[in-house]
Amino acid sequence: MADVRDLEELVLKGEMSITEFACTKIDGSLERMRQKHPEMLWTMEVQKFMWDNYRDAHKNGKKLVFYGGSVPTEIIAAFDCFGFYMDVIPFRLSTNPALTAKYIDEAEKYVAPTMCGLDKTELGAWLSGAYGIKPDLFVYNTVPCDSSRLAYPAMEKLMNVPSFSFDNPFHRDERGAAYLADQIEDFIAFMEEHTGHKLDWDKLKFYMENANRNFELQKKCADLRKHKPCPLPGRLLVLNGTTNAIACYPEMGDLLQSELETGQMMLELGMGACPDEKYRVAMLQNMIWGAAGIMDWMEREYNAVAVMDAFGFQGDIMYEHMDDRRDCLKVMGKKLQNNPMIHGASGPSAYHLDLVDKIFQNYDPNVSMFLGHVGCKHTWASAKMVSDMVQEKYGLPTLYLDLDAIDGRYKTNDEIKAQLSEYFETVVMK
Amino acid sequence: MEYQRLFESGISTAAAQAWRAQGKKALGVICCHVPEELFYAADILPVRMRATDCVDNAEAQAWMSSFSCSFARGILQYWLAGPYKDLDGIVTSDGCMQASRVYDNAAHINARERTGKYIRQIDVPRKTSKRAYPFYKEELQILISELEKLSGSKVTDEKLKEAAAKFNEARKLIARIYALRKEKHPVISGADCLRLTLSATNMPIDEYVALLKAFLADARNRTPITDYRARLMVIGSGLDDPQYLQLVESKGALVVQDALCFGARGFNEPLEIDDGDVLGSIARYYLDRLVCPRMMDKHFEMDDYIIDACKQWQVDGILYQRMQYCEIWGGEAVYFQDRLKDAGIPMLTVEREEQLANAGQLGIRVEAFVEMVEKED
Repeated sequence: MADVRDLEELVLKGEMSITEFACTKIDGSLERMRQKHPEMLWTMEVQKFMWDNYRDAHKNGKKLVFYGGSVPTEIIAAFDCFGFYMDVIPFRLSTNPALTAKYIDEAEKYVAPTMCGLDKTELGAWLSGAYGIKPDLFVYNTVPCDSSRLAYPAMEKLMNVPSFSFDNPFHRDERGAAYLADQIEDFIAFMEEHTGHKLDWDKLKFYMENANRNFELQKKCADLRKHKPCPLPGRLLVLNGTTNAIACYPEMGDLLQSELETGQMMLELGMGACPDEKYRVAMLQNMIWGAAGIMDWMEREYNAVAVMDAFGFQGDIMYEHMDDRRDCLKVMGKKLQNNPMIHGASGPSAYHLDLVDKIFQNYDPNVSMFLGHVGCKHTWASAKMVSDMVQEKYGLPTLYLDLDAIDGRYKTNDEIKAQLSEYFETVVMK
Repeated sequence: MEYQRLFESGISTAAAQAWRAQGKKALGVICCHVPEELFYAADILPVRMRATDCVDNAEAQAWMSSFSCSFARGILQYWLAGPYKDLDGIVTSDGCMQASRVYDNAAHINARERTGKYIRQIDVPRKTSKRAYPFYKEELQILISELEKLSGSKVTDEKLKEAAAKFNEARKLIARIYALRKEKHPVISGADCLRLTLSATNMPIDEYVALLKAFLADARNRTPITDYRARLMVIGSGLDDPQYLQLVESKGALVVQDALCFGARGFNEPLEIDDGDVLGSIARYYLDRLVCPRMMDKHFEMDDYIIDACKQWQVDGILYQRMQYCEIWGGEAVYFQDRLKDAGIPMLTVEREEQLANAGQLGIRVEAFVEMVEKED
């Protein structure tokens, strides 16, 4: 197995695509895990499922549907297509700052440096011809933010394949859900036109049932975190971000089932993610994909475990009447409006406040942190409302710490750790 | 001359005070996707909010953080403790996330302090479609119902048509003023034209129309501007600071056209009313018209508009100013950069804050740009 730096070099030279890089890196990680931590293989297997399917979609006779933002992935799957959630590129590359830097620099030839690193990486990688896979169709939404509203139509132009876009209203009410349900009907017609197949409702039901199962499992995992000590590590919260990519596939359920079983086992043994849990951290924003190891470090150094974040991965919107087309499409509309993370903070701030309030009501945290991605300017603009509520209602101060979820040049892991250490030692432990 | 008031670009509260003194409501409006016609039809004064001359937004920054655009922070600052603090409320659209967060913070503070002010954000679709028009029309109907409750005045089709007619008059007069700028030696500078469009936010529409007419009647008596070296078009983020253009023009440029929401784009083409569906006509107009890149399906139309305007106004180069943290305009170059190159239109890109803080650097860059694009007669 080649060293990661050698692989990086190949990508930087344009001799290896991002998809090949991801698949090779994941295979390497799986190999190491098999030798050292076979009990943790489940955390990587879902990554292998995703990336191998992206790479092999055409070989497997499937159309590849690139998508950005919150879209009804159940429908994409029901048409026997494989959805490629474009955010997986920056997620996957975020631990390789040399690569994200290359693509961010490429994008900044056109866009402002303040644009979100996720969108810059996606755009820059496409402009560099580095994806290694090509879309047959492109679908996007007007959420989550201004950066993506700029990036997705630009990608649409650059990709030059049939495309569809959803218009997601700011407010999350019934009228908005119905508006989205109407658009989903249009999307079904779009998929029928471009795949040459009629929608197979039984297939859609299969994926809707999967989505329900996965959300139920996710909720159970979230509920486990209410226990003291918290049986699941903070790192798994960070990985939740990936679930948007394959939320309706059985493989996602397999991951969550393993997570649940691990958590239940820990609970039965009376063990926590920290050997001696002292601090339960509420993450008001939590986009540290490039530095997920910080969660492990907090647990080791300070006996502090992140119990929940405000992305809303606590499963709540379920399909109920599977044979009622309109009802199902409205549920899909609600899912688009409330999709965890994607729309968690880009609608009215009141929803963000509610999510945080629920964390404090249910998970009993004693530390509050806002590890804010600098690209999420709209979330920063809600931060005071949220942290004021935490202070007034729960008597806790909140640490604000700016970082870039994708671009490691903004702040190194060591800098982040130093700032966290200072906070623990001067505020939390006093 | 009475029309000199058109060139007083600072924010004036006089009109809102006078309006409120009659027992009527005055509401702040953020973004040009909120149809002001609806307010007049409900006998409410709409005051388009801006941040001109806001040099200290510390309180707003505490709410919105330093990662927010200084224009949005300035508006919130003025709402909290400035010229807008006495308004009866705010209506905004989700023009961008920054405007939305002004709404969110204002609503939050409003609820905490129990001011009872009316704070509302309307959902404006980001694309035009057969689904979007009725959705937006219904949204406007909801807004009308709330405005009616607030003012106690019933909104009728006739009142909407009357309001639209007044705005159309202003739109046509502004178009005539912009046409004057096609001349080789225009009688109005870019800075003055921006002052003139900004002043619309300082007075009721009737008064504004009367002053525009007075200005146009006197336009031929104004001294033509001859001492410039290059004709520029300004595009980019919301610009409500005429001093910015004054600085640009002091370096040998003359701004003859713009794609600014406080300038040409805010006024736009006249609204055509279908008597059979008055509100539907308003909804369609506000979604269809080209204002800013917040509409996701209008990027290419905006490119076309810019290129066409450059030709018509004989522009030598484009000044693309983007406010720090403005994503809506901040990355628009990804769409038009290559097209402008193909069309042979040079462009200078500059970063900006609400407060004019880098005047020296801007001056040097504009001067160099003017030198590059100026043409010999």
